Amino acid sequence: MNNKLSLLTTLALFLFGILGIKAQDLLDIIENETPDIPMYTQATFKGNRVVLTQSVETRKKGTLEFLLGTRYWNVPNNDDSQSFGADRFSGYFGMQYSFSDRFTLGAGVGSVDGNFNSFAKYRLVRQREDKNVPLGITLVQGLSYFTRDFGTFTLPENSSDRLSYISQVIIARKFNKNLSLQFSPSYIRTGTNQPVNDKNDLFLLGFGGRYKLSNHVSLAGEYGYLLGRNEDEEGYNLFGLGVNWEVGDLIMHFSFTNSKSFDDIAIYNFNPNNFHFRPGGLHIGVNATYILHLNKRKPKSLKTREE
Amino acid sequence: MKNQTINLALFLFILHGSIFGQSDKIIARQGKVSFFSYTAVENIEATNNQVISIIDRESGEIAVQMLMRAFVFKKALMEEHFNESYVESDTYPKLTFSGTTNALKGEEFNDAPIFIKGIMDFHGVQKPVEIKTMVKTSTDTFVLEGDFNVNIADFAITVPPLLVPNISKEIQVMFRFEYAPYE
Repeated sequence: MNNKLSLLTTLALFLFGILGIKAQDLLDIIENETPDIPMYTQATFKGNRVVLTQSVETRKKGTLEFLLGTRYWNVPNNDDSQSFGADRFSGYFGMQYSFSDRFTLGAGVGSVDGNFNSFAKYRLVRQREDKNVPLGITLVQGLSYFTRDFGTFTLPENSSDRLSYISQVIIARKFNKNLSLQFSPSYIRTGTNQPVNDKNDLFLLGFGGRYKLSNHVSLAGEYGYLLGRNEDEEGYNLFGLGVNWEVGDLIMHFSFTNSKSFDDIAIYNFNPNNFHFRPGGLHIGVNATYILHLNKRKPKSLKTREE
Repeated sequence: MKNQTINLALFLFILHGSIFGQSDKIIARQGKVSFFSYTAVENIEATNNQVISIIDRESGEIAVQMLMRAFVFKKALMEEHFNESYVESDTYPKLTFSGTTNALKGEEFNDAPIFIKGIMDFHGVQKPVEIKTMVKTSTDTFVLEGDFNVNIADFAITVPPLLVPNISKEIQVMFRFEYAPYE
């Protein structure tokens, strides 16, 4: 009995052994042979900005990006307006260059606030497809120089007071292919006691998210909560909603915000109105981002083309 | 006691058999696949140097797998759009092909074109295809190479109307695999 059993087991083992080899799919072998190369999660956000705030994203090495921003709004209680489309217009022109996959420098100038700004952005941690690195972290240091009164801002007499700084830590996660969220605690050093009285050091909590509607269109939203601000007389927190639409090298952003400015600091600090859909609260933005690859990679293809 | 010895002997035999059985396989670990889309507006090409392929020379089966994220484009943004908006590599990370051909059985090959029938699994679509392949052998290498065209509509890849002029409907694919014994 015992003999029979062990013989049966042996036979079974033998058959299994052979079947095992035969049934083992070649694709399964390949799966085991595939080396574990870390894959960084890409496109947490479609651009360097969620709507107006800095996003966790930076461009790849050698990418020069141009941002042309326009924003249109109506002035409240302006019934005898003679303007054809919108009462007011604001523009922004910015450029940024990525020195590496992680490091980007940018600068820009805006019309409504007469503001010159620049920023340095460093991607500290990149989220990975495997579960080892579930978050991405980017550091941003921004510098803004104001040159005129606008919104709730009064230009200080002393030119050194016209500078403001912002330091941001952006923590983001792409949860799935459609949903990405980011949280950005920030410190703002203002040149004057604006917008909060007697305070030059301000803290901000920024929130941003994007949801992909289709392969080429995504919806973005953001909120900037400035701590310790009396929200009525000292301006309102930033709120923005946007749609990003990518067409090859061109990315179009359409947005609704309560901000007139494009500057990294002014968007949080100097919004005279809360967000609503009546004149004064609604600013319609149309931005175009154009991307130029100055440093093209040259993957050797199987075809050597005769030019 | 005697039984155990027989068992052991049989077990060893199986082990041996399985080792022996695997030596019929040859593998290409750094296979190369390039694809090309030429239109009047824009030329797009990308190359993947990490394609893996295995041939079982006993059964004449062949399998190929490539990761979409491993395709390198000239422009970084193109690569991102390719993965994000066209092949959706988050959902469909790889392309696989498995096929059989009698021409790959056995030991001896001629340097002649062969046809491999199989199923290509890409972007959630399984499609039977037949690929013409050139076989090139020398003393220590065994190479398969060739090219074929893929109609992107067959694999449910949609191009937004505005970009239709930029992307060719027929993508030319070229491949080259150098095989070595698999152990």
